[in-house]
Amino acid sequence: MSEILGRRRFLSSTVLGTTATVITATTIGSVAPEAVADPKLDVEAGAPDPNFVEGRITGIAGGLLIVTSSDRTINQIHLTKATSVWKLRPTTSDAAQVGDGLYARGVRMPDGTLAADAIWVNIVNLQVHITSIGRSVMHMDHHGDRIVGHVVGGTTAAVYNNTPAVSDLSLLQVGKHAQVIGAWRPDTNEVDIATVYAAA
Amino acid sequence: MMAMDWLAGAQQVVVGGVLIWASGFKLVHRNASAAARRSVLARLVGKDRVVGAYRAVGVVEAVVGLLLLAPPALAVEAYAAAALFAGMLGYLAYGKWKAPDSSCGCLGDKHTPVRGRGFARAGLLLVLSLAATTGSWLDRPFATVGVVVVEAAVIVALSPELDHRWLLPLRRWRIRRSHPLAQHTVEVPLESTVQQLWKSAAYRSVVEQLASDLLDHWDEGKWRLLTYSARTPDGPATAVFAVPRLAYEPDEVRVAMVAEKADMLV
Repeated sequence: MSEILGRRRFLSSTVLGTTATVITATTIGSVAPEAVADPKLDVEAGAPDPNFVEGRITGIAGGLLIVTSSDRTINQIHLTKATSVWKLRPTTSDAAQVGDGLYARGVRMPDGTLAADAIWVNIVNLQVHITSIGRSVMHMDHHGDRIVGHVVGGTTAAVYNNTPAVSDLSLLQVGKHAQVIGAWRPDTNEVDIATVYAAA
Repeated sequence: MMAMDWLAGAQQVVVGGVLIWASGFKLVHRNASAAARRSVLARLVGKDRVVGAYRAVGVVEAVVGLLLLAPPALAVEAYAAAALFAGMLGYLAYGKWKAPDSSCGCLGDKHTPVRGRGFARAGLLLVLSLAATTGSWLDRPFATVGVVVVEAAVIVALSPELDHRWLLPLRRWRIRRSHPLAQHTVEVPLESTVQQLWKSAAYRSVVEQLASDLLDHWDEGKWRLLTYSARTPDGPATAVFAVPRLAYEPDEVRVAMVAEKADMLV
């Protein structure tokens, strides 16, 4: 923990010590196309993206996630300190557990493993109708299936009419359409809500 | 006149009424053919014949319903209705088993997959049909009203097609009086800060080099700091953004690129 705080203090000082509001190409060296790895370039149309993996975590060994995709291929995913991990909110790699679903983007290594730049654990994107609202839950209809959405204090945000996100959820209405980004609770019909987009 | 008789008469009204309502929807509603194609029946008889089959079911329902409501009250009418609802239960079971995403198509054009409430409604109507074999509602029209109202209310409650008519308005009214989610503390959500970051020139100047999603975030006075890992021509780095936390001023967003090597020194 103190290591994280120390690193945060250092990074704070680097950005707050400057007044830079943009970084031009010259301050970070050349931006020749070949200088910046672009993992998107080697994807053929119609072929599976080698730099993307989806599936369920079936095993964890150190910094390596074993992921079984929906087409039953098994992928190994490396996580490093530079990998961003989302699970309802930005978190650390130890939040990923066996049974979780994930999407991972990164760079395919010669040995076939994926060095992940970012993983999103249990993330879901649902188009729903709100059928009822309770003290800390929202019941939703997703094409006839019931979904229970849990409101997480301090995390759940609402975006009304494409305006900046707010923590005030009191404009959500029963019977209205909404889009929900959330974290699925594996093997249930429940999600923790990260952001709900609605009209108000 | 026995109490059982007028109770039975009440069942004729309820069952007959539900059948007329169901057939009315199938025969005259302008969305009926669309509802037919979405229903379990489409799976059962095929897409080409489903509209005809749907209308045929409507005709049978109309005939049985009218016979039940019209005198004389014959036991055979009630048995015909019971047979219809027994078939209905079989239809629902088939739908649940073979086409769980298809609509029931029973009483309205709302898409309502087969669920427990559908089975409960068909089962209840089957029981009511069997109870309707004696007597006639015409003998005691007023005494039946109370029973009919209660039973009709139960059937409406078991009809997901009708939720938008009473259940949702009721819930809307309740949250208008006091919204259950209104008391959560007001703070600036992370999502809002990220949205502000995306609008900033600082973000746009380095976005092509960002490799990860949001890595870490913390608050520092009036700033919220966000970090991303980045791939620069000089090697891996961490992009650090300082975003105004309590104001929407994307022009004020600051950025620093910290090379991974510099990181090592800490």
